[in-house]
Amino acid sequence: MVILQAGLCPGLTAEMIQLLKANGIRTVVDFISSDLEEIAQKCSLSYKALVAVRRVLLAQFSAFPINGADLYEELKSSMAILSTGSKSLDKLLDSGLYTGEVLELMGAPGSGKTQVCLSMAASVSHSLKQNVLFIDSTGGFTASRLLQLVQSRTEEEEEQVEALQRIQVAHVFDIYKMLAALQELRHCMSQQVVCSVGPVKLLVVDSVSAVVCPLLGGRQTDGLALMMQLARELKTLAREFGLATVVTNHVTRDSSSGHLKPALGRSWSFVPSTRVLLESSQGPLGKASTQCIASLRKSPRQPTGIQVELDIGGYEALEERPGASGEEL
Amino acid sequence: MRRGLPTPRPLTSAARAMSDGFGKAESGAQLLARLEGRSSLRNLEPYLFADEGFPIHGDVIEFHGPEGSGKTEMLYHLITRCILPKSGGGLEVEVMFIDTDYHFDVLRLVTILEHRLPQSTEETIKLCLGRLFLVNCNSSTQLLLTLYSLENMFCTRPSLCLLILDSISAFYWIDRSNGGESYNMQELNMKKCVKFLEKLVREHHLAVFATTQTIMQKSSSSAESSFSLKHQCEADVDYRPYLCKSWQQLVTHRIFFSKKCHSSNSKGFSIVSCHVKRNHVVKCSFSVAECGVQF
Repeated sequence: MVILQAGLCPGLTAEMIQLLKANGIRTVVDFISSDLEEIAQKCSLSYKALVAVRRVLLAQFSAFPINGADLYEELKSSMAILSTGSKSLDKLLDSGLYTGEVLELMGAPGSGKTQVCLSMAASVSHSLKQNVLFIDSTGGFTASRLLQLVQSRTEEEEEQVEALQRIQVAHVFDIYKMLAALQELRHCMSQQVVCSVGPVKLLVVDSVSAVVCPLLGGRQTDGLALMMQLARELKTLAREFGLATVVTNHVTRDSSSGHLKPALGRSWSFVPSTRVLLESSQGPLGKASTQCIASLRKSPRQPTGIQVELDIGGYEALEERPGASGEEL
Repeated sequence: MRRGLPTPRPLTSAARAMSDGFGKAESGAQLLARLEGRSSLRNLEPYLFADEGFPIHGDVIEFHGPEGSGKTEMLYHLITRCILPKSGGGLEVEVMFIDTDYHFDVLRLVTILEHRLPQSTEETIKLCLGRLFLVNCNSSTQLLLTLYSLENMFCTRPSLCLLILDSISAFYWIDRSNGGESYNMQELNMKKCVKFLEKLVREHHLAVFATTQTIMQKSSSSAESSFSLKHQCEADVDYRPYLCKSWQQLVTHRIFFSKKCHSSNSKGFSIVSCHVKRNHVVKCSFSVAECGVQF
C-alpha cells in the first residue's frame, strides 16, 4: 500500500497530491485504477500530466515481463547444480542441489536430517569451495561434528580451516530472528562489495518447523501469514541470487490414509519444489542403525518413489552401503 | 462510429489513444487483427474441455488441486501446445505467464519442447521461447498493478491470447493478515484484480488459466457449500472455495486435479473437468513422463 507523496515520481507535485486527496485518491493503486478523464475534470489538472504520472508509477511499481528466450539464456549461464558429496543422494536429486530451488528434507526426530545437512554443508564448502550459510533453529548444530566431516575429506589442516571458515552459522530461535537473518543475507548478497565471507551458494535452514510450529493453530491467521512470508523470502532469495536452499521439516501422519506427510500444513506443502523423506532403518536384531533410507516424495523432474540408503553415522561422507540400495518406481 | 470498440465513448477514447502514448496510432493491420479477433485456440487440449473441445475466448479456467497433483505440468503442456510452430504441431500463439510463487522452471519447459520437436536446433527452441512472456509478482498489489501495465501488451499483440496465472491464491494468507478484521478489506486487492481481469478478458478476448491451491479441507457442513456447489459437480472432490466471490463467479470451467496413490495401471494423475454453468462433468487421467503430460 504505497501512499502518494510528493517526489515519488517526477511530475507528482505537492499541489497535485492535495487535489487528489480531496477527491479520495490517496494510494498508488487508487490513482492507477481511477478514470483519468474524470480526475482531470474534477481536480482541474492537466490530463496529459496525469497520464505521464500514471505511466511512470506503473513502470515503477509493476513487474516487468521477460521474454522466454532471454530467461533461458540467463538461466543457462547462472544456474548450477551443487553435488551433495554423496553419489546416492545425488542420484536421488537428479545430480545434486539445483540453485534457485528449495529442497525439503522431512523426517521424524532422529532420522538424520541434521546429519545430512551438515554433510552437505561440509561437502559444498570443501569440495566445491563455495560459501554456506547454516541457520540453526534447533540447537542441533555441533561444530565438532562438522570438523569430523571435514577432516574425513582432507588431512591438511589448512584446507580444513578454510573449509570451516566458509561456513557461517546463525542461531535463531524464533521466526522474527530468522526473517532478520534472511534479510541480512539479502543485504549481503545484493551488495557488490564482498562482505566478510563472500557470496553464499548454499543456504541450509534447520529446521523451519521449529520456528513456525508455535505460530500455527488457533483461529488467528497471522501465523499462517508469517509462515507464507518466510516461504516467500526463502524462494525469492533462492531465485534472485542463485542459491540452493535446503530446509528441514517434521512429519505427521495423514488422518485418512495413514501416510506420512510433511508438517506445517497444506499451505506449506506447496512451497518446496523437491521433497525427500528420511527414515532411519532398523539394523540387525532390531537395533537402530546408522543407516537411513531417503525416498523421493516430490520432484519437478524425476518420478517419485526412488529410494536410496545413506550412512549418516560414520565418519565418511554419506555413502551407500555396498549392495544395499533399493529402487522402486 | 467504429464497431467493435469496447468503450461506449468512441470519440474520447480515440483522443485518449492519441494522447495516451498507448502505443503509436494503430496501423491498419493491427486494427484488422483486433477486430477479427484473437487467434483461435482450437485443439488446445481436447481431453481437458468437457464440451466444446477447445477454450473459447472469454473462458476462465481454474485448475484446483493439492500439491504434487500435476497442475504445473499441465500448464507446461498447454504452453508447449501454444508456442510450438504450426509445423511442429502447435498453435503458434503467444502466452503470458504470471508467476506468483517462483515455481516456473524454464529448463523443464525446454526439456518438454525438445521432446516434442525431435530434430530441433537451439534456434528453433529460442524461437518458440520467444512466444512466451514471464512476469513474477510479489504481492497482490503488485499483481494488480502488473495487470494494468500488461494491458498495453495485449492491445498491441493480437497473437497474445492466453494468460496464465500460477497461482492466483498465493497471496491468500498474507492478504488476510494485512486486511485486519474485516473480510472486505482482506479481499479488496483480489476483488480489484478479478474485476480488472474480467475487463481484460472481455476487451481483448483472452482465455485465462489460473491455478488455485487446495489449502482448506473440504467442509462437512452443508451451509458452507450453499453458494457455489449447488450448481457444481460434487463428485468426490476435495474442494472448498475460499477466494472471493467475484472470482468464483468469473470462472467458467473448473478442473480438479488429484494424484492417485499406488496406481496399478500407471496413470498416476486424474482430473475431473466441470463446466460451471452447464454442470457437465468429464473425468480422465494422465501420467507425467519426461516428455511431459501424456493422456
